[in-house]
Amino acid sequence: MRLVRCLALAAGLGSAVAGLAAAPAVAQKRGGTLVQITQPEPPTLGSYISTANPVGQVASKIYDGLLEYDFDLKPLPSLAEAWTISDDGKTVTFRLRPGVKFHDGKPFSSADVQFTVMEVLKKVHPRGINTFSEVTAVETPDPQTAVFRLNRPAPYMMAALSGYESPMLPKHVFGQGDIRSHQNANTPVGTGPFKFTEWRRGEFVRLDRNADYWKPGRPYLDRVVVRFIGDTGTRAAALEKGEAHIAGFGAVPYNDVKKLEKLPNIQIETKGYEMLSPVVELMFNTRKAPFDNVKVRQAISYAIDRKFVIDNIWFGFGKPTNGPISSNFAPTGLYSADVTNYNVADGIDRANRLLDEAGLPRKADGVRFEITHDITPYGEEWRRFGEYTQQALAKIGIKANLRYEDVATWLKRIYTDYDYEVSSNHLFNLADPVLGVHRAFHSRFIRPGTVFVNGVRWSDPRADDLMDRATIEPDPKKRAELYAEVQKIVVAAAPLAWTHEISFATVLDKRYRDVIVSPLGLFSSFDRAWRE
Amino acid sequence: MRGMRLVRFILTRLLQAVPVVLGVVVLNFLLLQLAPGDAATVLAGEAGGAPAEYIEQLRARFGLDKPVLVQLGLYLKNILFLDLGFSFRNNSPVLGLILDRLWPTLLLMGATLVISVGGGVLLGVVAAIGVRTWRDHLISVAAVIAYATPLFWVGLMLILVFSIRLDWFPTSGMEDVVAFHEGWARVVDIAHHLVLPTITLSLFYLALYTRLMRATVLEQRGAEYATTARAKGLTERAITMRHVLRNALLPVVTMAGVQVGALLGGSVVVETVFAWPGLGQLAFQSLFARDFNLLLGIFFLSACLVVIVNIVVDVIYVLLDPRIRVGSST
Repeated sequence: MRLVRCLALAAGLGSAVAGLAAAPAVAQKRGGTLVQITQPEPPTLGSYISTANPVGQVASKIYDGLLEYDFDLKPLPSLAEAWTISDDGKTVTFRLRPGVKFHDGKPFSSADVQFTVMEVLKKVHPRGINTFSEVTAVETPDPQTAVFRLNRPAPYMMAALSGYESPMLPKHVFGQGDIRSHQNANTPVGTGPFKFTEWRRGEFVRLDRNADYWKPGRPYLDRVVVRFIGDTGTRAAALEKGEAHIAGFGAVPYNDVKKLEKLPNIQIETKGYEMLSPVVELMFNTRKAPFDNVKVRQAISYAIDRKFVIDNIWFGFGKPTNGPISSNFAPTGLYSADVTNYNVADGIDRANRLLDEAGLPRKADGVRFEITHDITPYGEEWRRFGEYTQQALAKIGIKANLRYEDVATWLKRIYTDYDYEVSSNHLFNLADPVLGVHRAFHSRFIRPGTVFVNGVRWSDPRADDLMDRATIEPDPKKRAELYAEVQKIVVAAAPLAWTHEISFATVLDKRYRDVIVSPLGLFSSFDRAWRE
Repeated sequence: MRGMRLVRFILTRLLQAVPVVLGVVVLNFLLLQLAPGDAATVLAGEAGGAPAEYIEQLRARFGLDKPVLVQLGLYLKNILFLDLGFSFRNNSPVLGLILDRLWPTLLLMGATLVISVGGGVLLGVVAAIGVRTWRDHLISVAAVIAYATPLFWVGLMLILVFSIRLDWFPTSGMEDVVAFHEGWARVVDIAHHLVLPTITLSLFYLALYTRLMRATVLEQRGAEYATTARAKGLTERAITMRHVLRNALLPVVTMAGVQVGALLGGSVVVETVFAWPGLGQLAFQSLFARDFNLLLGIFFLSACLVVIVNIVVDVIYVLLDPRIRVGSST
């Protein structure tokens, strides 16, 4: 089977075609300001050095990537008009769009791609260090061609080339000086639909329309202003009053989402998170008794009533699950439902039986053993999830005491000191399992001091090997088979108990159309958004 | 003669302030070391994870890989040259970050001081003059309620009523980010945005000054000099205005001096509720981000401000009450 995928689209503007297909019969209007609420305020606008959520929400309007993606996570042309992958998967050639200009008027060329990937993303981008680890060189035979040379095939790389994940920077701006503390981090220059105008700290970032944008006629909006409002009640009030028009990623708590949903001027959108796919997990310290016993871990996995959690804590915004890979990967074949099902009606009975078998009988007071459960310090629903976990564990004879600390303290406890028994977290699957899933349980990711990795310190050579093979497997079908096997193994071993996929809710003012049009949602450029 | 003495007094006090401020800096620095986790962990945590190499890179860049005492020494050396350092988290110099937030803070603080001190003095006097009348009762009860109500609740209620229901004021922010007014229109716009946060923040202090003023006016009106004045045949109005008021103001000035220090960092709640870009929020965020350079910078500035306000309060004492002398060695 030839693996050459030549996607040179005759129209040259694949996204424009896709846009026409999706858009209603209403003509888009020019003009208007969209006010977006982002919480918290980003520490920097350098999305090439920080992957913090708020940074991406702002910078994705300013920087383009080589590719865009549709809701099935299929790549679409962006700064790259077309691309080919060699049979051995070790050479990827991008044909770049001619005539694209940066906001300062200088042309975009293959030299910028080379600089961005080799000098910036591969070196200082928190995830780019992994994404581009196989890239040994980017060759630039001419200004419109960039050739990526890879050590081994890296199929996941093709999913990580959006303007959010891998922003293309101007070499003539960022090539001078230290990239880690570059003065232009906070006065960004990109090729995107909106130009940076002003950042007033504590208030807003103002982005104005890029009149020379390479997509003809786009963007439709004159301006995007990103506001920072620290209080949840005020955020809801600003949206209700129409002072702000869009907020996502939990900026509005679910109980307020439910209230705002009833207003005539507001709509709630749960699409636009398909390339992030957070999955909630209970973490077990698998090197500490009794959690080194698989039966104990399985018992707790059985004890969590997924539906109850979703309905009562996440206000219905979620989907029950058993495994680490989100069902958003179903279109790519990487998701498998053929795993141990912990989400069963007699879960509590099974859990009790497992704990008896594990040699942890109930004592006179009905308690088998006592633990401390560390609540995830990310706000209301996490606190309630912690309280729910306490109750669920009580039902199977485990007495859990709750501990609540601030983010920095908690991170250190879980990922540096491993001084915990049970905690919870949610890891984003991101654009590919290699980028977002392996880190949770591959032995390579047992790294004290590195956060959001294998903090459970579980290790299984078979799973490691399967993941390593899937990483470099260019054939999608074989890759899917490898991942099906990985999911079967880890779900049975339950180093973590995956409970549900979170659906974030985006609160949107109904006057604005075509805002959420990609699996990256608020991390996309808003070039198609328009105001009625 | 008196002028000379005043200048000498101020200079001496400023000199004495230097070791105090330095002591505050050292103490703050050491206290912050007790907080677990560091800026690099938090940055990586916010990013949803990062490789160990990256976190080590960050630590080295932030200077967090050096021993604590070396870090302290470097910090003190910089502070002596008034260099507040660099906020790596915000990728910009600390001084610039603080100065950007200073004028919104001063605006909110100034407006609050004027309303709470002015209103408090007025209401206190009215209540004291009409002691045990309906006016006194009304003012006293209102003051207790205002004093006891949590600020965030007042703020949210004001937004609900005056912004969403009546549509008189914007919910939050400092100016209209759709219109971006210029010139006078901008001044009016900012004033419009200032109303609700000022009222919210003023209520508590207004209540405080009202109660304080009422009590001291009542006390002073019973003092011997007031009786003497009455014996001389002065009207109650003249006694209150010319004699009692001046004496009764002293405790209020003291309180106001304390309040300025608290207002600088203590309006976190109001700033958060109304998305006002003040220093309080900045300090709050930098603590949770473990951005200690920035936090120490804010502490340093607050310490300086408190010292200066104390000196100003002492000078005001002299102007209000000639019996108090500055710089007298007692």
